[in-house]
Amino acid sequence: MRIILAAAAVVMLAALAFAAPWLQFVLTLAIAKGFAALGVAVLLRAGLISIGHAMFFAASAYGAAFLARAGINDLGLLLILSVLVSALIGAIAGSFLVRYRAIFFAMLNLAVSMVFYALCAKLYGVTGGTDGLPVPIPAVFGIVFAEPVFKSILFYLSLTLMVLVGLAVHRYLDSPLGHALSAVHSNEIRLEYLGIPVWAVLLIAYTISAALAGLGGSIAGFAIGRVVPDFAFWTASGHLVLIAVLGGIGGVPGAFIGALFLELLHSAAVTVTDAWNMFVGITLIVVIMFMPQGIYGLFERKEAQSS
Amino acid sequence: MSFRIGLSAVAIALGLVATPVAAQEKPSTLGLGIFTFTSGPAAAYGMPGKNAADLMLEEINAKGGIGGVPVSATYVDEAQGAQGVIAEYRRLAGEPKNQVMVAALSSANCLALAPIAEQLEVPTVGWNCDTHQLLLDGKSKYVFRPNGNTVPEFVAYAIYLLDRKPDVKTVAIINPDYAFGHDAATIFKAALKALKPDVEVVAELYPKLSSPNYQTEISRLATAHPDVVFSNLWGADLENFVRQATPRGLFTSSQVILALGETVLQRVPMPDGVIVGVLGDGWWMSPDAKENVETVKFAAAYKQRFGEYPVFPSIKMANTLIYVKAAYQAAMQKNGGKWPTRAEIADAMKSSNVATLTGTTQTRADNDGLVDQIVGVTMKSEGRSFPLISDMARYKGNSLMPQPGQDPIAWVSTLKPEFAKTLPKPGSYK
Amino acid sequence: MSTTIIPLLLDSLASAALIFFAAVGLTLVFSVLRVLNVAHGSLYSIGGYVAASVCLFIASRQLNPYLSFVALLFSAVFVAAILGPLIERSLVRWTYGKSEAVQILITFGLFLILEDLQRLVFGVQSLYEDSPMRLLGTSSIGGVVYLNYQILLVAMAVLVVVGLRLLINHTRLGRLITAVVTDREMAQSIGIDTNRIFILAFSLGVFLAALGGALATPTSGIAPGLGADTMVLAFAVAAIGGLGQIEGAAVASLIVGFARVLAIYLVPSLDAVAPYAAMLAVLLIRPYGLFGSVTARRI
Repeated sequence: MRIILAAAAVVMLAALAFAAPWLQFVLTLAIAKGFAALGVAVLLRAGLISIGHAMFFAASAYGAAFLARAGINDLGLLLILSVLVSALIGAIAGSFLVRYRAIFFAMLNLAVSMVFYALCAKLYGVTGGTDGLPVPIPAVFGIVFAEPVFKSILFYLSLTLMVLVGLAVHRYLDSPLGHALSAVHSNEIRLEYLGIPVWAVLLIAYTISAALAGLGGSIAGFAIGRVVPDFAFWTASGHLVLIAVLGGIGGVPGAFIGALFLELLHSAAVTVTDAWNMFVGITLIVVIMFMPQGIYGLFERKEAQSS
Repeated sequence: MSFRIGLSAVAIALGLVATPVAAQEKPSTLGLGIFTFTSGPAAAYGMPGKNAADLMLEEINAKGGIGGVPVSATYVDEAQGAQGVIAEYRRLAGEPKNQVMVAALSSANCLALAPIAEQLEVPTVGWNCDTHQLLLDGKSKYVFRPNGNTVPEFVAYAIYLLDRKPDVKTVAIINPDYAFGHDAATIFKAALKALKPDVEVVAELYPKLSSPNYQTEISRLATAHPDVVFSNLWGADLENFVRQATPRGLFTSSQVILALGETVLQRVPMPDGVIVGVLGDGWWMSPDAKENVETVKFAAAYKQRFGEYPVFPSIKMANTLIYVKAAYQAAMQKNGGKWPTRAEIADAMKSSNVATLTGTTQTRADNDGLVDQIVGVTMKSEGRSFPLISDMARYKGNSLMPQPGQDPIAWVSTLKPEFAKTLPKPGSYK
Repeated sequence: MSTTIIPLLLDSLASAALIFFAAVGLTLVFSVLRVLNVAHGSLYSIGGYVAASVCLFIASRQLNPYLSFVALLFSAVFVAAILGPLIERSLVRWTYGKSEAVQILITFGLFLILEDLQRLVFGVQSLYEDSPMRLLGTSSIGGVVYLNYQILLVAMAVLVVVGLRLLINHTRLGRLITAVVTDREMAQSIGIDTNRIFILAFSLGVFLAALGGALATPTSGIAPGLGADTMVLAFAVAAIGGLGQIEGAAVASLIVGFARVLAIYLVPSLDAVAPYAAMLAVLLIRPYGLFGSVTARRI
């Protein structure tokens, strides 16, 4: 039942973008943010809240811009390399950040991301300052497509990656390494007594979460065609946590459901109201207070009842 | 249940985009996407632009619109950042009724939108895109700038300064930290170096755009004791800077140049003798403007509606809309009165020569505009609560522009003091 | 260089005073309620908006200009009296004892709401009201003209540090707060009305935030986005000083102010990086901040 539902949702997205080319851009961005929110959700499983993950989102997009400038002009290669860039930064930052818990973890992530943000904004000669850098359209298997065609390719690639990476993350969360994350949340000391290296468990999770945020960032970079320091501002990080919690951290689809829900609603609401943030803020508070499992929790609960 | 919601989402989405308009058939309205800052500190500069657009479009529609088609504008707030601006641009360009984009105010957004305009083949007129980087490659088909660019604008200030204060030795710069601020500093420094090589730059500050507080920067400038302080801060940043720097004596200890100073003359008390200009010829009180009936009418209507006289961003916007209208008229004349396609409009803009409220704007083969530059100094005026610009020089648009394809900074470096001597002197434009 | 040392130090002090006012409320609320209030920056900018609006009203009615000093203080009291109890009762109270993730998200939601609320109430244009600054005049120190208002702010900051310390150590309310901070359950069991203490402490935090915003307006403009910028600066200062440490926040403000001013004087391209680089440097060595510790719940 759940698989059918997920498959139907993916097919629906593909059809939606086909029927409404304008929505394709919105959906691509939603999936991109979904990846990043999934990264945040992985850490939330261990009870770690990062208000700094937009840094990896931005780092990867900057990576793609710099690599493109250096002459690399292949979509696949750029995606892989830029995700590796963010994973590497994630591994380095994570190696000391995962020693901290609770509010200190949140604050340190914020500190690191704000240093990154400020450097991107101030090093005008290198990063283009607040103007950012262009992310040019790369070739796909050696062919340079026109802009609309490339954007379609990017969308269907993102959709495919969403399924494949989603399955991979699902398997990871279902593995002993993944279960250890929840155990860190519930009882870290017992985990240590069992001889499980908590530091390593968390470092792996942190690197994976950085890579996921990076994947989202480079997709967003290609979709928008530009990367700016605002990608890494703390409110962007806050929004990623918001998407993860709104969708529900109970399962992989939650992050994508949250992102799609917000982006589609935003496109519809932006012409109607100026008070979009207020709406999001109220929704967030209501979800946390009354639906702790997020939107995805609704599906889960229904499943439990029907079976 | 969720599937049904999904279906209705598809239906909504289809409804949003399925408004087909057959090409060449006159539409019921002509849509313009107009990009400016309507919120945040930059709105102090952006709102006068929007106000002028409102007024100008009303005037155009009162006279029967463009080719008999009424014009309506969708405004996009640039304060939402590049990501949102790009998304909005794509959304508007996706609707066939929107044939021309008037975008944008911030040079950062202009640079971000330009490649998309070319990709989507939408005529895009930079109403305030002054950065010389915009049309540098000379390959633009759809991006136009009926304004001057940063090169003539800031070379003009260097020439005016050296005419007015030939013994200047030290200069300090405080510009906003993005392309516009850095470009202006590069050009101004290069021009000074070429025209008076012994001038020394003693401090260069680039505060973040939208900084509310400049107290430390003002101290830093004061400790450098420069003969001249140059700034192209704008919007509320400029208002904040002037309000904070005036009581602290910066305007008395140094000759200050405020490149966008005209925009705040009516809002902030400004001392006499500050070098200001309008980044082009768009001053509503210039001798040319005062002779133009349309301009006088426009300024009066603007004052009546918005409580203050138009500032140069207002004039830039009004002139840009005149430019768009002229392109439509030219395109329809060329194709026998049919409603023009986006490509035909772009074609009509190329190499056009349009009379504006304050002068003319000539579009070169590289889509860059030639517009005169007016520079002067502030001076109290009898019977007005705010200072006016006096001692003006009006430099011809083409005299301060490099040739198409020429590296602009390299061109500035080749300027000679003898060249500056051939240009109009302060006070010659009256 | 020697001629710039005095201005450099004075600018650091002036800058530190502004930064301190942005952060002290955040750290006070954390020390009592153990809640990191992400909406703190919005309360700061609301204080600024209210103060500027009242001062503009005073100016437009041509009332006695010195009233604007009263208005600055009154605006902060007004904001605290209305928003303090309201927010504490409706949202913050719900998060006591919940995980940090929940606290951060609830107050982040509040931040989003307040940011839009300000746009709706005060509009989206910049406000500027500088009559208090102009009234006080200027002084020339070390060859540079300073606003007397800047010096007043430094004095006010010192006053707030001393005042808070006196309040906490030498008043009944302060002892009650200390009791609650040290052991919430014990305080409750000996009959302290903790709910009332929480409302008072939170409202005091709102007052300090709003006061910071109000005092900043005469020397700087206010515009949308101020809340988000202030928030992250307040985070940095509170984290450097140690969350919940009032003297820590004061020292951290001096460090951040000095770092920023030094950057503007020597390497202007790094001015925006300085506060966060200082934060990162301190937190890497002392993750609980200069004055913080893991276990001790001091105030």
